[in-house]
Amino acid sequence: MIYLLAGNPNVGKSTFFNFMTQSHVHVGNYSGVTVEKRVHHVKHYEGANLVDLPGTYNVSPSSQDEGIVTYSLLNESYNGVVNIIDSTHLRRNLHLTVQLLELGVPSMLVFNLKDALKNNGYVIDIDKVKDRLKVNAISISARDRQNEDQKQIASEMQNLRITKALELDYDPIIKWGLQRIHDLLRYDVIQVKKKWLALQILEGNEGTFKFLDLVKEEKIREVVKEVEDRIIEAKVAFSLKGAIFNTRREFINNLVEECLIKVEEKEHSKYFNQKIDRIITHPKFGIPIFFIIMLAIYQVSFGTFLGVGNFLTTYFEIGWNDYLVYYLGQALEFLGLTGFMYGLLIDGIMGGIGGILVFLPQIIVLFFMLAVLEGTGYMARVAIVMDRFLSKFGFNGKSIVPIITGFGCTVPAIMATRTIADKKERILTILTIPFISCSARLPIYGIFTSLFFDEYRAIIILGLYLLGIMVTLLSAKFLNLTYFRGSGSKFLLEVPPYRIPQLRTITYQALEKAKRFVKKAGTFILVGSMILWLLSNIGMDGININPEESFLSNIAGFIAPIFNPLGFGDWQATSSLISGVLAKEVVVSSLNILYVGDIAAGFTTLSALTYIVFASLYVPCIATIATIKSETGSLKWTVFSVIYPFVIAYLVALSVNLIFGIFL
Amino acid sequence: MNITDLNKKEVAKIISLSDIDKLFTKRLMDLGIYESATVVMLNKLSSNRLYIIEVDDVEICLRKEDAEKIEVKK
Ligand SMILES: Nc1nc2c(ncn2[C@@H]2O[C@H](COP(=O)(O)OP(=O)(O)O)[C@@H](O)[C@H]2O)c(=O)[nH]1
Ligand SMILES: [Mg+2]
Repeated sequence: MIYLLAGNPNVGKSTFFNFMTQSHVHVGNYSGVTVEKRVHHVKHYEGANLVDLPGTYNVSPSSQDEGIVTYSLLNESYNGVVNIIDSTHLRRNLHLTVQLLELGVPSMLVFNLKDALKNNGYVIDIDKVKDRLKVNAISISARDRQNEDQKQIASEMQNLRITKALELDYDPIIKWGLQRIHDLLRYDVIQVKKKWLALQILEGNEGTFKFLDLVKEEKIREVVKEVEDRIIEAKVAFSLKGAIFNTRREFINNLVEECLIKVEEKEHSKYFNQKIDRIITHPKFGIPIFFIIMLAIYQVSFGTFLGVGNFLTTYFEIGWNDYLVYYLGQALEFLGLTGFMYGLLIDGIMGGIGGILVFLPQIIVLFFMLAVLEGTGYMARVAIVMDRFLSKFGFNGKSIVPIITGFGCTVPAIMATRTIADKKERILTILTIPFISCSARLPIYGIFTSLFFDEYRAIIILGLYLLGIMVTLLSAKFLNLTYFRGSGSKFLLEVPPYRIPQLRTITYQALEKAKRFVKKAGTFILVGSMILWLLSNIGMDGININPEESFLSNIAGFIAPIFNPLGFGDWQATSSLISGVLAKEVVVSSLNILYVGDIAAGFTTLSALTYIVFASLYVPCIATIATIKSETGSLKWTVFSVIYPFVIAYLVALSVNLIFGIFL
Repeated sequence: MNITDLNKKEVAKIISLSDIDKLFTKRLMDLGIYESATVVMLNKLSSNRLYIIEVDDVEICLRKEDAEKIEVKK
C-alpha cells in the first residue's frame, strides 16, 4: 500500500512524515527544504508506505521539484493521498486540496498546526469539513506527536472513503472547454480521471503534456487557446487560469467561513512579527545584525572566549591521543608489531582519522546553533535582507536556500536548486555554490588557525566564509555578464511566522550531521589516509624508506612547483590538496600523516594563510562533481566546475600572498 | 494606484496584474495574489524596496518593481 503525502511548502509535511513513520527527514522553517521524495513505512499500519513529496502550491508544476508531484499523481500507482494542510493558512492551502479532491482518489485531509491555530484563537470544525467535502479529515499538531493521533490516522488510512470527485461550478465557457478536451482524450489510456486531466490542461499544467504522450496534443492545445480567448473576451477574468482560480477561491472562502470557528479574541501574532522584523530586516542594521549573529555562532563553535566547541575539542583530543592512540600503540608493541605495520596503524590510520575527528565537537556545536536559527524562521529574513545584495549579482531570490544549505554540504545544496524554475539561473547557482564553504572545509581552517592564528580564530574563519560568499557572488556576476546574460532575477518569498524550534528536531539535526561526519571519517578518510600513508612510505627501493624517496614524493613533487608562487610548493602540501578532492576533510588527514603530526613545521604564517585560502576555493570534491554532472546533465558544465574554481583559487591565493606578504 | 501606494495596514482589492510574465503570474497566483484578492500592506522594508503584504493570511515579500505592476483599488 502506498500513500502520497502532498501539501504546500512549509506546512509540516516532513514533521508529519517523521511522526507517522518514526524516521528523521530534515525539517526547516522555510520553503524548499525537501526537494526529493522519500519513502518509509507507516507505524501501526502493516504494509503501508508513506511517500514524502516536495511541497507544492499547485498540481501544475512551476519548477522541477514541483514536477515530481505532478508526475507521481499522473503516473505512479498509489492507494491514497494524504494532504497536509497548514490550518493557519487555510485560504492558500485549500487550493491544492481542491485540486486533489477534484481528482477523486481516496484521500485524507490532515489539518496540521492545530496548536498554532489555537494560539490565534481559532479551531476547525472537522465534522463540518468532512460533511462538506465528503472526505476523511483530522485536526492535529504533528509536532506534538500524540500517540492517539497516530493511531487514528493509521486506522483511517486503512479505510479511506472512495471519494466522489469534487465538482465546482466553473464558468459555462470552461465547462464547454472541459467537454471538448474530454472528447479529445478518448484515445488515451490514462490512470487518472479524464475529466480531471481536462481541467488541469485548461489550467495550463504543462506537466500533463510532458509526462503523458497524448494522441491529440495539437488539437487539445487549440481548444485551450480558444477557451482562453473566449474567457478574456467575455471578461470573466484576465486569463483562463485566473477564471478557474477565482471559482476555486470563492468555494474556499465559503468553506473557510463555515468551518473556521473563532473561539477567542487574540491579538494576531502578525504584529509581533512586524516589530521584530522591522529591526531584523532594517536597511542599515539588517546585514550587520546578521554578521554579528554569525560571528557569535562561530565564536562559540571555534573561538576560545566562550568557546564551547573549542573546549570540548580539547578534551576530545586528549582522550584520543593520550588514551586511545597511546594504549593502542602499547598494545601493538606488546604484540610485537613495530615498524611498517605500527606506522600504518598509528601514524596512517589513527593519525589520519584523529586529525578529523577532533573537530567533531565543534561541528556539532556549530550545527546545533545553525539549526536553531533555521527553525525560528530567521533564514527567510536573511533572504529579505540579502535580496538587494544578491539581486545585484544576478542571483535568483530562491538561490538563498541552496546557498544556506551549502554551508552544511555542497551536495544537497546543489540538489536544492531544483526549486529554481529558470534553467539558466539554476545552472548559474549550481556553478557558483561550491565556493560556499561547506562543513568539510572547516577542519582545514580549524587546524591552521589553531596553529598560526590562535588569537584571531573566529575572525579568520568567518573571514574565509565571507571570502567564499564574495567569490560566489562575483562569479555569479561574471557569469551573468558573459554567458548567462540577461537572466532577470525575480524575488517572491513567503515569510514564515516566527516559531520556537523544537529541541528534539534541532538536536536530531545536529546529530545527523555528526553521524555523516563520522561515517565519512570511517570510509573516505580511512581509505584515503591508508593509501596516502602507504604511498608516502613505499618507493622504488621498497618499504621503510625516507619519505623524500617515496612514490608520493616523486609524483606530487613533480606538480608541486606550480604552487611555488603561492608559497607552499612542497610535495606534502601538494599531495594533501590532491587527496582532498576525494573529500575535503582528507586534506587535514593527509597533512597530519605527511608532516608526521607537525604541520606547523611545513608552513610559515604567510604560506599557511595562502594555503587555507586556496583550499577553501579550489576544485570541489568528487561527490559534488558527480552531483553537478547528474543535475546539469552536461559534461561541459561539469568540466567547467572543476577548472574554473582551480583558476580562481590560484588567483585569489596569489593575491593574498602578495598583499599579506607586505605585513607578515 | 498600485500596491506600493498603500500605507501600512491599509487594505485594498487587487484589480489587475499588468505586464507581468506568465511564469511569474503563476507564482503570484500560487500564493493567492490575483485579481479580486484582498491585500493588506504590512510592512515596507529596505528603504521601501521590499514590500511585505498579506493575502489570504499569507505574508509575502515582494520587490518594488514587481509590486508596482499590481493594480489595486481601496
Ligand atoms: N507549531 C507547530 N509547528 C509545526 C507543526 N508541524 C510542523 N511545524 C513546524 O513547521 C515548520 C515546517 O515543517 P516541515 O516539516 O519542514 O514542513 P514541510 O516543508 O512541509 O516539510 C517547521 O519549523 C516545523 O517545526 C505543528 O504541529 N505545530
Ligand atoms: Mg519537507
